[in-house]
Amino acid sequence: MKIKIRLRRSIPFVFLSPFLILLVLFYVLPLVYGFYISLFRQYGLRPPIFIGMGNYIKAFTDIGFLTSVLTMGKFFLIQGSIMIGLALLFALYIDNEKNHLRGLFRMVYYIPFAIPTVVSGILWGFMYSKSLSPFQSIFSLVGLLHPDFLSSGNLFWSIINIVTWEWTGYNMIILYSGLQTIPRELYEAAYIDGAGNFDIIKYIKLPLLIPSIILATIFTVIGSFQLFNEPFVLQSMTYVSPHLTPNLYIYITAFNYGNFNFAAAMAMILAIVTFAVSSIFIRYSALEEE
Amino acid sequence: MKKFSMFILITSLVVFFGLSLYADNVQLPVYNGSPVTITFWSWAPGIDQWTINAFEKAYPNIKVKWTDVGSGEAEYSKLLTALSAGSGAPDVVQIEYQMLPTFISYGGLVDLSKYGANNYKSLFVPWTWKQVSQGNAVYAIPQDTGPYAFAYNKAIFDKYGLTVPKTWDEYAADAQKLYEASNGKVVLGNFDGVGVSQISWLLGLIWAAGGHWWVLNGNTWTQTINSTISQKVTNFWGNLVNKGYMSTITPWSADWFPAMSNGKVASMICPAWMPGYLQENLSKENAGQWRIVPLPQWPNMPFTSGNWGGSTDAVTVQSKNPEAAFIFALWINASEESCNHFIGYLFPASFVGLDSPRMHDTTTPVDQFFGGQDINQIFIDASKAVNTNFEWAPWLNYIYNEAAKDISDAISKKISWTQALDQLQNSSLNYAQNQGFNVK
Amino acid sequence: MEDKKIKKSFYSIKSMIFLFLMFVASAYFLLPLFWIIIASSKSNSQLFSTNPLWFAFPLNFVNNFVNISSLFNGEIWRWFLNSIIYSGSISIGTTLISSMAGFAFSKYNFKGKNVLFFAIIGMIMVPSTALVLPIYLLMHGLNLINTYWAVILPSLVNPFTVYLMRVFWMQEFPNELLDAARIDGASDFRVFFSIGLPLVKGGLATVALFSFVGAWNNFFLPLVVLSKENLYPLVLGLQVWTSLVTTGQSQGIITYGPLLMGVLISIIPLIFAFMLLRKYWQYGLSAGALKG
Repeated sequence: MKIKIRLRRSIPFVFLSPFLILLVLFYVLPLVYGFYISLFRQYGLRPPIFIGMGNYIKAFTDIGFLTSVLTMGKFFLIQGSIMIGLALLFALYIDNEKNHLRGLFRMVYYIPFAIPTVVSGILWGFMYSKSLSPFQSIFSLVGLLHPDFLSSGNLFWSIINIVTWEWTGYNMIILYSGLQTIPRELYEAAYIDGAGNFDIIKYIKLPLLIPSIILATIFTVIGSFQLFNEPFVLQSMTYVSPHLTPNLYIYITAFNYGNFNFAAAMAMILAIVTFAVSSIFIRYSALEEE
Repeated sequence: MKKFSMFILITSLVVFFGLSLYADNVQLPVYNGSPVTITFWSWAPGIDQWTINAFEKAYPNIKVKWTDVGSGEAEYSKLLTALSAGSGAPDVVQIEYQMLPTFISYGGLVDLSKYGANNYKSLFVPWTWKQVSQGNAVYAIPQDTGPYAFAYNKAIFDKYGLTVPKTWDEYAADAQKLYEASNGKVVLGNFDGVGVSQISWLLGLIWAAGGHWWVLNGNTWTQTINSTISQKVTNFWGNLVNKGYMSTITPWSADWFPAMSNGKVASMICPAWMPGYLQENLSKENAGQWRIVPLPQWPNMPFTSGNWGGSTDAVTVQSKNPEAAFIFALWINASEESCNHFIGYLFPASFVGLDSPRMHDTTTPVDQFFGGQDINQIFIDASKAVNTNFEWAPWLNYIYNEAAKDISDAISKKISWTQALDQLQNSSLNYAQNQGFNVK
Repeated sequence: MEDKKIKKSFYSIKSMIFLFLMFVASAYFLLPLFWIIIASSKSNSQLFSTNPLWFAFPLNFVNNFVNISSLFNGEIWRWFLNSIIYSGSISIGTTLISSMAGFAFSKYNFKGKNVLFFAIIGMIMVPSTALVLPIYLLMHGLNLINTYWAVILPSLVNPFTVYLMRVFWMQEFPNELLDAARIDGASDFRVFFSIGLPLVKGGLATVALFSFVGAWNNFFLPLVVLSKENLYPLVLGLQVWTSLVTTGQSQGIITYGPLLMGVLISIIPLIFAFMLLRKYWQYGLSAGALKG
């Protein structure tokens, strides 16, 4: 009996083991090693010098790093609100059975999600260039000069556009799925009580949608701070500031400047902060559940 | 009398043989080692499988495996990563002049003087040898160069009655005249200093004016980004940009060639490797309309030109066969067969290449594009006029990224052009000192 | 009276306005697709001289297709195949591994379960840069650089799919079933394979699809661990060619027309797959939304 219990107790770990082994090898070990190299300073092939928290202190005063984090914060607030706002409007539309062509729109808005983000970046990069651009004719129709979408002043907004284009459909589906779980009887009861469409949205749909909105927001935060592919591919078409996103800055610090130690420190800081933030979120929504 | 004529005879014989020894090509080295295979990373057009086959015929004991792992930055990232990881770097690798100090100071390149590299110094244009050396140490073999000349669209110049500028003052006057006469629709040139690594374009012009940004003395670097000459040249272009007389399209972007094709941009500061691109990428209507002349000059200076681009081949410290690697690097850049093969793609740094009759073949499509001109002669003269006094810093990647930002701010008028130089000087000085360099 | 009211609102001005706005939004989402189809049908000179919003004749679809397909011995199709290999194996591997891990989290109680689970969820947000460089050094030490494994192995660790599978197990596999099977004497493994997996079929399909798409999209990891072109996935190869063309380094070998055709080629398969399999996608997202 004892052996059986022991075996029984070990069963979950058998199921877990492939995942755990890979987790240790390709998540934990790299993180530990990354932390290790972040404690040194080294130039070229000279011997490394141990500097403890030196790189971390430097990171908190490094203009490039701070700018990139602030820029991404700004990006998340602006792009996130636009995108989730739009996704919400679209989701509400296709949820309302009285509306036309819901199935068609649901499919069409979702299509950009099927395109890899690298390819979206390349696509829009070409469309932003004056000679290839389909916007030429549209702009001249309205009598405006074709703006330089890829200029350093406009790049931030141009990337906001690309990311919004890529992910609005995805978030729309998340919100739509949330809406679909609301029992229809609630609406009927509300109608009987004399509520109009707008009231239903305001008092029933939105409150019950909050978990889905939180989920979409979490994905958006992750996306904003992981932003790399689109700025990276645009680098070959225009000047992209290395301080635009944290991942881009870390990549350039490591692979262009060869400063792997400092890059590792910044990556560790990002990892810890995002880990902490998402843990709080998860804890919070799990508590809500219970 | 006899003694005297004997003396004359012997002297003239000595002089004759001495001269002929000098005029004789320095013989390329022989390889006496055991059979080896070496790896080679290179993206340069004209250095290809044909070159390798020819080399292997000349040196049967050395086999070469060539890979193109990407051009420029793409290759440098991989090289950097491989060097720091301790393996994965090739024996021979293509590195542009400006990136050499970065890899030298990284400790990644072999000093080739111990294989006799300095014996071959005379085979190459002097300023290129200076670029690959630090003191007596030699870290790479020069391959090609990009000395500046001036390319312009004759049809547009004729249409608006512009004179071909011989000085920068004339250039500025032409710029204004063209802008006003065409109501801003046509500009004299594009400011090609926009974008990461494009600062080299501007640096080449500062180089041509006798300026430089870095000097290495022993172990100490001195950085003078905002020197007087630097400011003079930068503000010259900055003023033209501010007034709208120059466009600011990012070079190589989708809009860059079309602007010249469609007659919106009338000229360019043209490095020696550019004419082929112009001939290939400008629309057919442009054929025969463009001409090349020497670079405009600053007053009170002997004729000089600057340089933009050009590569070398170096041997990495991970090479297990550095001697064979050195021989390969030398042969592909200094042998007659190899140089003749890459003429037309690359503008040679070696005298063997520059002296080749193939350089003056005016029936090539490129020369025809320029109305049958012998354009290479202009570049040969320019190459000989490039200042030897110019060095690159090992923190160039940082400069590339920062400069692009400062230039971009100056173009959008957030800061003045002088401020852009000041900012670049300060931020990169800070960075370099942080990296542990001795720099002031 | 009520019927009339419904009819009225179905065709009211307000609903027409909304419909119009939705059409405008559709145009926005479809514009790049429309553009790339047109652009990939043009020759290089047509690209820069004709109206970008409509075709130019003669059409160059076939020329561009043949050109891009034959470059460097059909390298683009090599890359396509690589992407299938990467995505396929990562998808199968991840599905298996996450379904097992999700099963463990949902059906068992063990010491440290909650802590471990929260840790795993937190790891979803760790930026790729923190991992990729050390993974490169690790792969280098194992001599796995420039192999398929360098990309596949690290990608099999997917905390999000573990989370999803846990949700699916909780939803589709009642605990009573497990207890009943145990009483009958079946080992947990048998239960997992013969009873459990069929029940969470939908979840498995969702996770398989999700990880397939994620792997197809994967750019940063291959960028760092691969330097041999014949191992590149399609997105990496395409990015390399694009940067060669846009920075003037393609020496006339790769040109805009065929490049854009290559972009089109990279888009079409996934779009088809999506349209066919969107049911599973929404299934997954709704499960996530419920428990989110």
